[in-house]
Amino acid sequence: MQQVLIGTILSISAVFMVLTILIVAHKAWREARNGMHGRRRKELEPKVLTWAHSDEKTVRKALDGQPSPSDLIVLEQILLDHIQRVRGIERERLATAMDQLGLVEEYLKGLESGRWWRRAESAEKLGLAASKRAIQPLSRALDDEMPEVRLRAAKALGQLGGKASARKLVRALNEPNRWSTIRVADILIGMGHEVIEAVIEAFPTLTREGQLAVLDIIGRIRPVSAGPWLIEKLYDRTTDVRARACHALGNIGDPNVAPELIAALRDPEWPVRAMAAKALGRVGAAEAIPQLTSSLRDQQWWVRHNAARALRAIGPAGLEALERLVADGDTFAREQAILILEEAGRMDERAGELVEAGSLRDAARSLLEKIVAGGTTGRLRVLAREHPVEEVRRELLAMLPEEVSS
Amino acid sequence: MGSRQILVVDDDAVTARFIASLLRENDFDVLVAEDGEHALDIVREHELAMVVCDLVMPYRDGYSVLRAIRQSEQLHDLPVLLLSMRDREEDIVRGLEEGADDYVIKPFNARELMARIRKILNHKRKVS
Repeated sequence: MQQVLIGTILSISAVFMVLTILIVAHKAWREARNGMHGRRRKELEPKVLTWAHSDEKTVRKALDGQPSPSDLIVLEQILLDHIQRVRGIERERLATAMDQLGLVEEYLKGLESGRWWRRAESAEKLGLAASKRAIQPLSRALDDEMPEVRLRAAKALGQLGGKASARKLVRALNEPNRWSTIRVADILIGMGHEVIEAVIEAFPTLTREGQLAVLDIIGRIRPVSAGPWLIEKLYDRTTDVRARACHALGNIGDPNVAPELIAALRDPEWPVRAMAAKALGRVGAAEAIPQLTSSLRDQQWWVRHNAARALRAIGPAGLEALERLVADGDTFAREQAILILEEAGRMDERAGELVEAGSLRDAARSLLEKIVAGGTTGRLRVLAREHPVEEVRRELLAMLPEEVSS
Repeated sequence: MGSRQILVVDDDAVTARFIASLLRENDFDVLVAEDGEHALDIVREHELAMVVCDLVMPYRDGYSVLRAIRQSEQLHDLPVLLLSMRDREEDIVRGLEEGADDYVIKPFNARELMARIRKILNHKRKVS
């Protein structure tokens, strides 16, 4: 019995000892390898960078021939590190180096691997390697069974750029069960103006969600050239499409679209009217002041609110229109106008003018009296207590109703 | 003939090595600092043609390095080019208003960066 126990303890100790030796040996081997790679990197990196800055065609010449498998690992790291940090010709040359050294070919093989993590890693590296040869294989990887591989392939296509990549990615907007629409949209937005043609072309073939995503993408990229197409969408049958077209036009900010946005203020659906009002503020359309003033009497709060904000955004002429509304017969219009004038600091400005001479003082007094008569006296009460100029405080106290001033 | 020595300040060693290599290829002498404190030590000790400085760094950021240079009686006219991933309008405007001679967004185009550096140095030569 005792011998069995001793034997068991010795066996377990032996196993632990072997494991410890293996772990220490592995760590030592890794450190030695990293040290060797570090030393090689110091030798190889200047050669790669000098080649990248030059006009020399083949990178192998700069490296004195085909690198060893060990050097290739170091070179891959050097190229991946630098290619992410530069643009333009140097980036293209680093990408060429990756291709010439056979790395692109290796990643393309990796995309066919049975291991999903190898496919994902290969997709990511193909994006960094910026090889146009990778567009078709990466497009196929968009249908991979693993979401991580699909996502990295999509990001890689985004990095590769170009209309062909954009067309493949737009297709993903139609599959919300397989893709996060927001992620795909973000990748397309990151690609910039070159996707515009592809998303507009794909629009009729997309689901409703896909179409709305396209309108958001255009609104974020803000291409002035998409203006006429967006104007067409203001007459779409779907309310959301019309509303988002207004939003996109507002983001683009081209003042030439003001007449169409003014027309959209009469849309039967309030979300479209609200977005049209907001867009008019963004494009700074002074010619829309009369229509925006009418929109302050809209039945829907969002339309009134956006119209008031738009008038403020238009500038002095818009603020004057808001001042004219403080005595409006429509209670809601009046309240919105006063709210925005207060937010814009216009009430404080006018209170300060109470001590000025002549017509300026009269205009300020007339406006503030109208606000008091409308019953919205919150800010004026604060000014009557805290305004730094005593005469202003006195004037305001005299203007405010007895119970408030006491 | 003036100094051909340029200081590259970046806490990202890979970027610093890339810029250093680019400058050396264009016949400049290069010094490298990995943070703002070290950069200011070098600026005080060496006669430099200009500084290429990252914006976001530990201890002292690029704005702080720039401010220290502009406030120094001896160094206030040393050209400084800021380099940053921050591409927002307010960051660019702030950098230029604080006295940067130029602002380049990362990832950068190497040839464009060199053209900007040469332009700054030519302007400096003409002024002096």
